[in-house]
Amino acid sequence: MNQIFKWILISAPGIAFAGFIAVLWYIPPFMTTPPEEFIEMTLSAPPSLDHIEDPALRLLAEKGKYIITTGDCIECHVPMGSRGPNFDEYLAGGMKWVTPMGSFVSRNLTPDPETGLGRQSDDEIKQALRSGLRSDGSLMHPLIMPWILTTTLSEEDLHAVVIYLRNIKPVYHKIPDPDPNETSNISRPLMEDFGGHE
Amino acid sequence: MSQFVKTFSFIDILGLILAIIFSSGGLNSSTLQDDNKEENNLGKSIYEQKCSNCHGEDGKGNGLAAQFLRPYPLDFVLGLYKVRTTATGSIPTDADIRKSVKEGIHGTAMPSWAPFITGDSLEAIIEYVKSFSSRFAEESAEIVRVDKPMASSAKSILSGKTFYEDLGCADCHGDDGSGEGDDVAELEDDLGRLTVAANLTEPWTFIGGSSAKDIYLRLVTGMNGTPMPSYDDLVSSNQLWDLSNYVISLARKPVWEMDADELGEYYANMDEENRMNPIERGAYLVEYLGCPHCHSPFDEDDRMIRELRMAGGNMFRLGPYGDFVSRNLTPDEETGLGKATDEQIISAITNGIRVNGDRMMPFPMPWPSYAGLSDDDLSALLVYMRSLPPVYNSIPEVKKRNPIEYLWGKFELLILQKPFPPEGTHGNFGEVKVNEQM
Repeated sequence: MNQIFKWILISAPGIAFAGFIAVLWYIPPFMTTPPEEFIEMTLSAPPSLDHIEDPALRLLAEKGKYIITTGDCIECHVPMGSRGPNFDEYLAGGMKWVTPMGSFVSRNLTPDPETGLGRQSDDEIKQALRSGLRSDGSLMHPLIMPWILTTTLSEEDLHAVVIYLRNIKPVYHKIPDPDPNETSNISRPLMEDFGGHE
Repeated sequence: MSQFVKTFSFIDILGLILAIIFSSGGLNSSTLQDDNKEENNLGKSIYEQKCSNCHGEDGKGNGLAAQFLRPYPLDFVLGLYKVRTTATGSIPTDADIRKSVKEGIHGTAMPSWAPFITGDSLEAIIEYVKSFSSRFAEESAEIVRVDKPMASSAKSILSGKTFYEDLGCADCHGDDGSGEGDDVAELEDDLGRLTVAANLTEPWTFIGGSSAKDIYLRLVTGMNGTPMPSYDDLVSSNQLWDLSNYVISLARKPVWEMDADELGEYYANMDEENRMNPIERGAYLVEYLGCPHCHSPFDEDDRMIRELRMAGGNMFRLGPYGDFVSRNLTPDEETGLGKATDEQIISAITNGIRVNGDRMMPFPMPWPSYAGLSDDDLSALLVYMRSLPPVYNSIPEVKKRNPIEYLWGKFELLILQKPFPPEGTHGNFGEVKVNEQM
């Protein structure tokens, strides 16, 4: 009995250490999770459009949804929770990059009037996607928010994208204005949510 | 265990990608900040803040974003202004430039600056833009006369149709006005770049506006620098008004005016059309999905190396995960996808299973998002990729870290919560073979 106890005592740190190494090695489980899980997680993220009653509007929104999901907007515009991307707050923004050119925070694209796009006109949203021009007259960096991709969309597809953004769930998620003086020699997204909730 | 997973997920790292690609940043900070300490030239400072991203620091229409914009941003040095009220070949008036800055150029990425550039700033920017070309000092603008418009009527439209046929509009714009005339394949602008003919059924895309007067002006003044000539000497102004009225009559309903039935039918037709023209659809898709932005190398100035477009060779350094080099997507037999089957390529795009059977992480290639692509679009992408010119660009395998480096990197990432500094790279990391048969 004592023998067994002694062996356990001796080997426990070893086992714990091996476990620790294994965790380091395999977490996050990118290579062990089946692809279907990533796909399921990504494709089930966009909120349903069933609440849209006008059938024409719904067709347009569906088209916009297809463009936004395949176009991989979630890459930057989904807030980070403590356990990874928080898909409940779809497209509510809040990821931050500090780059040699200044810092950038992804914006809230939901129709929330105060913190999202609710108060922007269709033309203002289209102008941002077509020309990288924000509603305050400043320009987006073409390689950070890649409006050089969205500018290639046809005018009708762009319209569908706007209709979709108008009809997703509004999320109150206040995005602070980035500080242009905050720069770094290395660009890195900081892995936390920079939006403020109330 | 779950606390180790804290905040770290594949989307996180997906988010790195953009930052990584161009992290060394090729953009002059003056475009992002309003600091012009030694520069008090108002026109210049506004130009550098608002215009140089597209039109270039030196006004040559070659800013950072210009490489992806169609139509190309205007080259102020050549001074070939498309949208004017002046005779063909002539420089524009100040009023023309003012209108373009204020209202933007309809149908292009040039936005309306009216709320943001006003008063002195507006006049300063006009002067500054003119200063790029010596033509403004040497020539004077010759304004064309705009005669009284002819109201549209069935008779006017019918006579317009006759001129449309007689003047050869259909050669470029097509019999139905769809912009698919016989000569379209070889349309070039004055700089020898491929260009397109306007689709006359979609007035919301017209460069310079879609009112009868706008169209009339384009017909009279021509569009400098493009294959669109002036018809001023060929026909009378009344006949040009007829032609404008005919062009307006070609317009179809845009999606924002359609009801549900029309929309359903329109989208069904479009799907059918995309199936018929997979190369066109594929080209449209890769542009908005951004495939060429990772799968082409960029030079020191953040310009895509055009001859290696889609031939891979762009390197992303992802901390402990290794150095990834984007693959060659051209149909080259040896180094590209020439030997890969359709199923293999589709599986790579939508499931992250590489052609050699390895699994991809969900980054840097965002295959979980691409899993949402429809079957039609996937086959369009395939046909498009197979239609690219094959480029020999031998891409090295992912350079993995050794176990100690990898473990230490993961330790920093998960335990010390230190995000890894991604390194931006420029240039091609593949090996190009010079084609000796050329």
